[in-house]
Amino acid sequence: MEVFIAQIINGLSLGSIYVLLVTGFNLLLIVAMIIHFSYPQVVVFSMYIAWMVMKFTNNSIILAIAAAVGSAIILNLISAPLFQKVMKKREGVDINTTMVLSLGIGMIITDILSHGFNEGLPIAFPENIVGDKSVIEIGLISVSNGQIYTLVVGIIAVSGLFWLLYRTRPGRAFRAIAEDPNGAKLVGLPLFKTALASYAVTGVLGGVTAILLAVLLGTTSPGMGEQVANKVLAVSIIAGLGNLTGGLIVGLLLGILEAVVQGYISGSWANAIAFVVMLVVILFKPKGLFGMKL
Amino acid sequence: MEESRGDNSLMLKVHNLFVSYGHIKALKGIDLEVRKNEIVVLIGANGAGKTTVLETILGINIPDSGDIIFNGKSIRGVSADKNVRNGICLVPEGRGVFASMSVLDNLLLGAHHNMHNVKEHLNRVYDWFPILKIRKNQVARTLSGGERQMLAIGRALMASPDLILVDEPSIGLAPIIVNEIFDILINLNREGYTILLSEQNANKALKAAHRGYVLETGKLVLEGTSGKLLNDKRVREAYLGV
Repeated sequence: MEVFIAQIINGLSLGSIYVLLVTGFNLLLIVAMIIHFSYPQVVVFSMYIAWMVMKFTNNSIILAIAAAVGSAIILNLISAPLFQKVMKKREGVDINTTMVLSLGIGMIITDILSHGFNEGLPIAFPENIVGDKSVIEIGLISVSNGQIYTLVVGIIAVSGLFWLLYRTRPGRAFRAIAEDPNGAKLVGLPLFKTALASYAVTGVLGGVTAILLAVLLGTTSPGMGEQVANKVLAVSIIAGLGNLTGGLIVGLLLGILEAVVQGYISGSWANAIAFVVMLVVILFKPKGLFGMKL
Repeated sequence: MEESRGDNSLMLKVHNLFVSYGHIKALKGIDLEVRKNEIVVLIGANGAGKTTVLETILGINIPDSGDIIFNGKSIRGVSADKNVRNGICLVPEGRGVFASMSVLDNLLLGAHHNMHNVKEHLNRVYDWFPILKIRKNQVARTLSGGERQMLAIGRALMASPDLILVDEPSIGLAPIIVNEIFDILINLNREGYTILLSEQNANKALKAAHRGYVLETGKLVLEGTSGKLLNDKRVREAYLGV
């Protein structure tokens, strides 16, 4: 029982990361109408930028946060015209092209990380940002400060996003475009500008995720982005592509499931579980558990 | 049917407009005018090009050639969001309301470019359509067809437009509701809104409008005052079934 509770706690913090990633992925999918498969690679890239900045600023956490958020926003905004231009050239939305484009961006990022930083070796974050201090300990159950940060910031970030979606003017435009892009055009919503705003918002989410990953894991490597990208896509498909609420639930559940598998079977199986679930789900519910929102 | 009153300076002029979708020529040289304080109707069967005319004016399609002058300036090639900001609004065919969003959200979308005085605009729309105030927190999916049409018109009003383009308001509505919608359009016009309407329901539309144009496969074949068109033999045979 103690193992189980301990793994649930591990799963919740890991799940918060998946939730943040899949929320950013889904937002780009429904508002900018792109499959940004490599969005998690943008996040990992931002982790490297944060690491660099800490190296040169005597381990400043504030500057690391600013650098991660800034880098994710900039990377997103640089790629935005590329995605939108390709779509325009191909006469309207062509979601497959955007996926290939994103794959390419991901490969470039991975290559830059493996050649440009730390000779391609995994990087370790300075102690002051890593949250590995145990703050609650009851028998086998141990909760680290990093886990608490991840869960709390995750909840705040996702609530913030939903507040933006349901209580603000740009959020209203996001939802309108997500529901009916043509209808949105007919009422005079600026599609490109609104899409750009969604790239910026997912940039902020991505930067926050990068810092949380640093806090939770304390390390990263060039290959991590791709591995996580596969999982984020799986979560989105299991929940239903573009379904924000579904992504919240499935992201959290996947985190817990992986942790439980890790606790009882073996860590090496945990990475496969998302895809096993995905295969089973799309066999019975091709549009995902909660339905596609495309 | 009545004479236009007050200021009747030229608001919209469409000149020799050609539009195509790929190889299909949708509009083959359209000329039309809308004066301030008028209701003008574009009559035509399915596929005649009515929606294309309205959407091209709004800025959805880029014309092959020809020009569109709005309030003295060419708006050819100007994007829809700029045109909405400058006072042209479309009430789309089939209403085009966002079904999963609340009535209030739908209305606020209309004011996307014009968020100051939003309360005032909202209250004015609620005065026109009290039912929308009652239903403001319901999602639009739960509205009846007539209520959706009112929502679509209300949403257009939220932008305080000079010119309202209304695409086939009667489609899919019960006759009694159609009457109600046309009464609303007539009243809006009396309050100073200029309206360009497209319709298959020629009888009702011509009775509401000051002038009309008849569109057949991308070309205007007839134009004139509503009275003239209502009595025209060809219109009576083709569109009024008499």
